[in-house]
Amino acid sequence: MAENSFNFHHTLHHHGSRDSYGFVLRPQQLQRYGEYIHIYKEEEEERSQKWKIFLEQQENLDQPEEQVANQEVLQVETTTESREEAGSEGRRDNDDASVSSSHSNTSKEQNRSEESTEGAQLLGQSEKKVQYNEGPQEVHSTERPQEEVQCVEGPRKEVLYVEDPEVKVQKTKEEPVKLPEEEVQPPEASGVPSETPEELHVSEEGEKKDLSKTSKAGKVPYWGQIRPSLKVIERLMSSRVHEQHHVKDKKSDRNGGDQLPVIEEDVSVEEEPDDGVEEESNVKDHVDDKVNEGRDERKVEDEPSLEPFLHWNQELEFLVHGGVPKDLRGEVWQAFVGAKARRVEKYYEDLLAEEANADESNDDNNTGVPEKWRKQIEKDIPRTFPGHPALDEHGRDSLRRILIAYARHNPSVGYCQAMNYFAGLLLLLMPEENAFWTFVGIIDDYFDGYYTEEMIESQVDQLVFEELMHEIFPRLVGHLEFMGVQVAWVSGPWFLSIFINMLPWESVLRIWDVLLFEGNRVMLFRTAFALMELYGPALLTTKDAGDAVTLLQSLAGSTFDSSQLVLTACVGFLAITEARLVELRDKHRVSVLEAMEERSRQGKVWKDSKSLATKLYSFKHDTGRDGRSSEGDNSLSGSASTFDDFLCGLSSDAELDCLPDLQDQVVWLKVELCRLLEEKRSAILRAEELETALMEMVKQDNRRELSAKIEKLEQEMYGLRRALAEKKEQEAAMLEVLMRVEQEQKITEEARVIAEKEAAAQRREFDSLREKYDEAMGLIAQMEKRVVMAESMLEATAQYQSGQTKAQFVEPPGAVRNQSTTGENTGRGIGRLTFGLGWRDKGKGRPEAGDGNTGGAADT
Amino acid sequence: MGCASSLPDRSSGQLGVINSDSNGSTDAKSLRVKLVLLGDSGVGKSCIVLRFVRGQFDPTSKVTIGASFLSQTIALQDSTTVKFEIWDTAGQERYAALAPLYYRGAAVGVIVYDITSPESFNKAQYWVKELQKHGSPDIVLALVGNKADLHESREVTAQDGIDYAEKNGMFFIETSAKTADNINHLFQEIGKRLPRQQPEPST
Repeated sequence: MAENSFNFHHTLHHHGSRDSYGFVLRPQQLQRYGEYIHIYKEEEEERSQKWKIFLEQQENLDQPEEQVANQEVLQVETTTESREEAGSEGRRDNDDASVSSSHSNTSKEQNRSEESTEGAQLLGQSEKKVQYNEGPQEVHSTERPQEEVQCVEGPRKEVLYVEDPEVKVQKTKEEPVKLPEEEVQPPEASGVPSETPEELHVSEEGEKKDLSKTSKAGKVPYWGQIRPSLKVIERLMSSRVHEQHHVKDKKSDRNGGDQLPVIEEDVSVEEEPDDGVEEESNVKDHVDDKVNEGRDERKVEDEPSLEPFLHWNQELEFLVHGGVPKDLRGEVWQAFVGAKARRVEKYYEDLLAEEANADESNDDNNTGVPEKWRKQIEKDIPRTFPGHPALDEHGRDSLRRILIAYARHNPSVGYCQAMNYFAGLLLLLMPEENAFWTFVGIIDDYFDGYYTEEMIESQVDQLVFEELMHEIFPRLVGHLEFMGVQVAWVSGPWFLSIFINMLPWESVLRIWDVLLFEGNRVMLFRTAFALMELYGPALLTTKDAGDAVTLLQSLAGSTFDSSQLVLTACVGFLAITEARLVELRDKHRVSVLEAMEERSRQGKVWKDSKSLATKLYSFKHDTGRDGRSSEGDNSLSGSASTFDDFLCGLSSDAELDCLPDLQDQVVWLKVELCRLLEEKRSAILRAEELETALMEMVKQDNRRELSAKIEKLEQEMYGLRRALAEKKEQEAAMLEVLMRVEQEQKITEEARVIAEKEAAAQRREFDSLREKYDEAMGLIAQMEKRVVMAESMLEATAQYQSGQTKAQFVEPPGAVRNQSTTGENTGRGIGRLTFGLGWRDKGKGRPEAGDGNTGGAADT
Repeated sequence: MGCASSLPDRSSGQLGVINSDSNGSTDAKSLRVKLVLLGDSGVGKSCIVLRFVRGQFDPTSKVTIGASFLSQTIALQDSTTVKFEIWDTAGQERYAALAPLYYRGAAVGVIVYDITSPESFNKAQYWVKELQKHGSPDIVLALVGNKADLHESREVTAQDGIDYAEKNGMFFIETSAKTADNINHLFQEIGKRLPRQQPEPST
């Protein structure tokens, strides 16, 4: 396919092979890349379809008027795509950016024709832009008429390319093996305007470069609008830019002068409904509808928390995880970062104009880009994607302009290695000024504090990453640490380069898709964890540090399965959220700041000594050259220090020549001496001043240090306080437990007392029972005595009775009867007694009982 | 990383026995050594490593971000094998903040400057001081003047390098990654100077 053929073309151009983006492939990965090309292609087709449907839906919901035009865009897209795929054209890399732009141009052209006939269709963007400048920004543009002219020129040139897709496809069909150098010819060279917009812009820059030598104001860097179908995304994603925008307004004040904030507001808010505003002047019929619609849209923008937005966002997120289609990528990225909302008219241009000024006047002392950055940028430009077909001389000029403009825009960052790659990548996907604003968004927002002189946030992120690694992959980290490998050795470069050159390009771009969409650095962490998840098992088998690092590097470098990587990252590590990272960053930032201050204190000594050395060095040179005058001074003023000589060396040298004779010379030298002494005195004063200033600075430094310490102590205090609170809580709990135990003890005590009482009572009872028993026993003994008595009485009675019966025969019956009743009574009583005591003296009582019985029987 | 990972057959397999000691100062038979390359941006650190490890030279090499890792094993004349684990660091000044991460625990520090750039020589001196102060106490330091092939635009004399190296007890050599001059020699000499656990003359 296109990718395949592309590789072949570039083998002519460069000794290594290149992928479909024009980047070098490592020889050992060529084969694997070949295997994945087909998968990439299938994925690409699938996602193109999905995005197409999505965007169509959005338009239907959002802007029914634009529907027709955009459908046409998409149609053109697909047809060109299929053509591209069918015809083996070898310029895919440039097309990534250009195809998309030319599509939008096509739609513009079609719109224009429709407008001329029906008078009710959308305007081409080129016209819009011009009118826009004339309309709301009238004051602005009249102040700078040149800008207006340029703005007209810019987009009109764009219109020239409208016929592009046709021509280009034919052309590429005819010459499939075409070197990229040829393609990037200046437009004058080819009669037919068949260049891609990127090429145009490059060549335009070429012209401008020439212009810049003569006039600095003539520069208008190329700015391209994104296709209308993506405006919905742009608008909604830009809402997160607006908050930060005020800062930039202030920054831009020095360039824009008056009313910039107001104008800026207009730009950011009215961009969307500008269709409506445009038509107001042209198409009277639709004016009202359009304007109303525009206002509605603005309302939507003001309330981003609307229900449909959430749904929309989820859907978009899903699509982004699946990847952004190649031909949309450049524009979608701009929309995500909010390049348009960030853009300040003329700002980029002014930065470049300032730079041109600084070049001419050769003063880099005040606001200019420090020499060290400029030098570093120069060093790095040829080393940025070396040999990439799009980064030829013109491409490199664009890259240089972006980097230098950025260094001017944000001197706290200036230039840091790695930024060259980002700017280079963006330039491959979009026009120069768009790339600049996207770049600004990424470095200023997403990676704020990352690439500054101290690289604090980058170090913080590594500490955070290490902590999370310990948490998520304890075994792997343990193994690596055992071998002496620090995770940050490898992850540091990953983060700093946002995986550029670390992973295959397809994967890098997919990660960027998500990262730019999310608007923070969460994706960096998730991707790194995904890589660890994928390659951790392999790493566990390594036996030494070198092997482990080598393996991880080479495995990461061959992560061609970009979908698997992104899926693992986005689904597998949902727990890694921005909130969590912010929290951990705050925690680790303190230690990084401390280490940095330690360093800067040591570094300062070295820097000071170095600068002193350079001063002395240059001083030596200069005195050598102005030897004549210095000697004269020295002979007259032995007390004057050599430093003073040096100070006046240059000025005295010039004056010396015009002195007529020795007399005058002596007089002049005397005067000069006085002046020198004066100067010396002032120099000493100045030195003292400087010393105090230095002391002040040192103090301030101490203060900073102290404040850091205080911060740390405060944190410690906070920790201690928390610990104290915890202790207190524990104490309270303990107390409670204690109380409970005490209560329980009390209860048991009570229970014991009660029990004791009960025991006493029982004992008393027992005693009383025993008493009773004794009593009873006493009674029994008494009774026995009585029984014995009774028995004896009974015996006596029995004896008496027997005596009576014998006498009965003589006695009268009455007397007998009396006798018998008494006998009966006693007999009965005795019988009763015998019965009662029978059980006690069964053995001995038998004869008695028998007696009793006989007595009883005798009774009856 | 600016440079790709080393080829697998080079990085593994050649060395049978590997010391577990990361400072690499143990067994006389085979040593494992962590080496860190420091120096100003664009002096050719990555090129030296690429030349040493892969025998290649690419005039349009990439900018190194953070650091890049490669390893290579060589045999010394006394039949000792040395596996160099080379950390090639980014040159820009602000990346110095990350350098401690890489030179910590390094047994060898190779400080590179460009013989056509006095500024890079100054920077080299900064790195020497930094390593003397914060590197391992027994670190072997080498001062390397690269781009020796560009002798017509030379601005730092060999004598300057020799003097400075002598004063700081370092090994000095001028190399050219482009012509491969002295590249292998550099690493051979470093290998010889590594401290051995057994008392052996480390000439």
